[in-house]
Amino acid sequence: MSRLARYFRLLGSLARYTLGREMAFRSNFLVRVSVEVLWLGILIAFYRTVFARTRSIAGWPEEHYFFFVGCFFALNGLIETFFLDNCNEFAELVRTGDLDFLLLKPIDEQFLISFRRIDFGTAPNVLMGAVLMAVALVRMGWHFDPVRVGVFLVTFACGTAIAYSFMLLLTSLSVWMVRNQSLMEMWWLFSSLARYPREVFQGVAWAEPLGRLFTFVLPILLVVNVPAGAMVRVLDPGMVAFTLAATAALLWASRRFFQRALRSYRSASS
Amino acid sequence: MTPPDAVAIEPLVPDRATAVGPSRPRPPARGPLATSRKYYKIFRVSLVERMTYRGDFLLGTLLRFLPMVTTILLWRAVYIGSGSTDLAGFRYREMVAYLLLTHISRMFSSMPNLASGIARDIREGTLKRYLIQPIDMIGYLLSYRVAHKAAYIATSIIPYGLLFFACRSFFDGLPGPATLAAYAASLVLSFLVGFFFEASVGMVGFWFLEVTSLLYIVMTLNYFISGQMLPLDLLPTPWSGLLKALPFQYLAYFPAVVFLGKVRGTDLVHGLLGALFWAVFFLLLARGLYRVGLRRYSAYGG
Amino acid sequence: MAMIEAEGLTKTYHVFQKKEGLLGALRGLYRREFKEIKAVDHVSFSIDAGEMVAFLGPNGAGKTTTLKMLSGLIYPTAGSARVLGFTPWRRDDAFRRRFALVMGQKNQLWWDLPAADSFQLHREIYSLPAADFQKTLDELTELLGVERLTRQAVRELSLGERMKMELIAALLHNPRLLLLDEPTIGLDVVAQVAIQKCLRDYHARRGVTMLLTSHYMRDVEALCSRVLVITQGKLVYDGPLSGIVERFGQSKVIRLEFAEGQVPDDLGRFGEVVRRNGPSADLKVGRARVAEALGAILDRHAVADVVVQDPPLEQMIARVFEEGRASHDAA
Repeated sequence: MSRLARYFRLLGSLARYTLGREMAFRSNFLVRVSVEVLWLGILIAFYRTVFARTRSIAGWPEEHYFFFVGCFFALNGLIETFFLDNCNEFAELVRTGDLDFLLLKPIDEQFLISFRRIDFGTAPNVLMGAVLMAVALVRMGWHFDPVRVGVFLVTFACGTAIAYSFMLLLTSLSVWMVRNQSLMEMWWLFSSLARYPREVFQGVAWAEPLGRLFTFVLPILLVVNVPAGAMVRVLDPGMVAFTLAATAALLWASRRFFQRALRSYRSASS
Repeated sequence: MTPPDAVAIEPLVPDRATAVGPSRPRPPARGPLATSRKYYKIFRVSLVERMTYRGDFLLGTLLRFLPMVTTILLWRAVYIGSGSTDLAGFRYREMVAYLLLTHISRMFSSMPNLASGIARDIREGTLKRYLIQPIDMIGYLLSYRVAHKAAYIATSIIPYGLLFFACRSFFDGLPGPATLAAYAASLVLSFLVGFFFEASVGMVGFWFLEVTSLLYIVMTLNYFISGQMLPLDLLPTPWSGLLKALPFQYLAYFPAVVFLGKVRGTDLVHGLLGALFWAVFFLLLARGLYRVGLRRYSAYGG
Repeated sequence: MAMIEAEGLTKTYHVFQKKEGLLGALRGLYRREFKEIKAVDHVSFSIDAGEMVAFLGPNGAGKTTTLKMLSGLIYPTAGSARVLGFTPWRRDDAFRRRFALVMGQKNQLWWDLPAADSFQLHREIYSLPAADFQKTLDELTELLGVERLTRQAVRELSLGERMKMELIAALLHNPRLLLLDEPTIGLDVVAQVAIQKCLRDYHARRGVTMLLTSHYMRDVEALCSRVLVITQGKLVYDGPLSGIVERFGQSKVIRLEFAEGQVPDDLGRFGEVVRRNGPSADLKVGRARVAEALGAILDRHAVADVVVQDPPLEQMIARVFEEGRASHDAA
């Protein structure tokens, strides 16, 4: 328990130091936040345009769908704030050999590499996503239900953990594939799976196996779908239980893979 | 998360060769033969590099399919939800074909590191070499970019070829030779509009140091207003007309609709002339900004 | 007590053979050839607590690789090691708390922040009690004479100052073992001497065990009585620094200054003339023949001054390396 407390304290310190750094480049921070606001605006414009032509997408009416978008935006914001930059930098750490210093510290390597720098530029995304979700809930006339909120929070955390695990798997690859194309790009491509409701995979002969693959084997489709579904659609206990199990399994597997990757680290000189 | 296109990632070596700094390679020797030999070299090096990192290459190719898969499925769901077969003149298959074709447009019109490179040259004073050597900066950058693009397109043939082969059912075969010729022209023009537009943005660096921020915002916006997310025709009336009047449509939307045969006859001619107009407009703008900026630059002593 | 025990430590790398040209690259897509490179080849040694040992060898000999295996950064292909009683590549927290690695070519401090901030973070990562931490920090900044620089952003410091900060960062948790990889690389002589002095003082104060690699013989002469020489991944010498002179210094250098105002032409008869400058010259002569040669010269010429010295250590080390290479090639 004291170990856990220590890691939380450390996380706080890391956040403090990165914030200090961020404030040294304040204008940069403001630009990044405004780009994220702009991007959310674009997403809203896109879906407003689409919903002007259709009543629902894969069984998701407009307000429900916007809840989904808000959920994705918030979850992705969380991932970007904590992990994306760090994982993106990992390849560079491997290439230059600067990973050495992180491995020397008497602290869990995965923790230090994952949380080294907190990217405050995307932190407001979590808030923006939350606002979008709240607006969607109000507009659909949602009735407060503590069970749904509880399940939502838990599965939202699971979704974040699953997305993080996938990112860690992709990151670990850079130990073998020096100069991977930026993880940023790979992540953008891969996470496109989580961006839409998984119901879009239904009813198409070639897509259904893919949908099952990305739900049950590489469960990236659970990431936004389960929390958003639990909140505004049918609460499916089986799916929630499966999500919990998948989260545990993926966290374990990605950690093992990461440690295996570190064994192959060559530590480049200079 | 903003699309990576906004930060313009196009993993290629040649840009490292342009990396600014005192040790930067000299501008190419004059004479067409020397120039073409140099660009052949750049071309070959980047091709070799791509092949070397094969794991990376294969994974990248595989992942490249995923957004297309989800896009196809999303639009299918949209068409089913709408209950109609036609949205703003696009049938489902055309819609998917359109979105695929915007990738081709962007292959020509995206200019990674161009504006930020120019801004860096200005900021760090490496611009001087263009003043000392008998070479025109914009001309040099343009010829360099042509070589870079040729290499990039050649190395992208495998992944994109696979993608288009897998999605061939969304196309009604190749359009006629006239349309193909117009399509080729529109791609060349999209390259030119993209190039001179970004060059103009880079020139703003003479007055405003943080061009990268400006570019970041413009490129994020561009993702939508150039029609990469959906055909501009789908937007409600004032917007679709407005966006079609802007130059950004030539970076993605226009070549795609030309290929699909949505623009014909006089509209096509007008469209091509419009692209030409914008290319010339930004060419003149970039030149003008360069000239005025240079005067200011030398006044400050660089 | 043995601080470090290495037994048959071996590290083999598979290096992808990149083919020339376009066709080669295309072929590399489906078939690749690998070459095996033994960076470290059955290296065994033992270092006791409190020792200061130098690791010598030409570039790419395997010094750094060995150091990195001992710090647990990379896994060996074969062999075993115990460092502070731990297997380093298991990277137990308890192990990592007790040693430090300083790399002259890399920096671990946050570039944009003052060193003091990095130190604070260090304190939290190592969970050091605040009072102890402050005491150690004060002691170290005083020892290195950088009290006033810790609040300055690291990127504004000179290379020498930065190295001192790196050293402080490495010593904050009072490691019992200090591994140093080229700690003075790129520094000017003044800064080199300052770092050497600090290491010596620190060693005297704390009795910390040190193992260092360096290009500069001055570092080694100033700090270490024992050296390990490694070439081509193999350990070729382990013993006192003076032993190298005995074993490999088979010749001496006689520095002569002639009263005649110029160097006589027949000097080459007595040995190898390695330097000639106005009236003075350096003559290299085999150890056993020094007396004989000197007598003969003094007989024939008027000599104003004479000094007999060992050849510079660098030259001797270079010979050690060459011998290692020759025996390797012969094998």
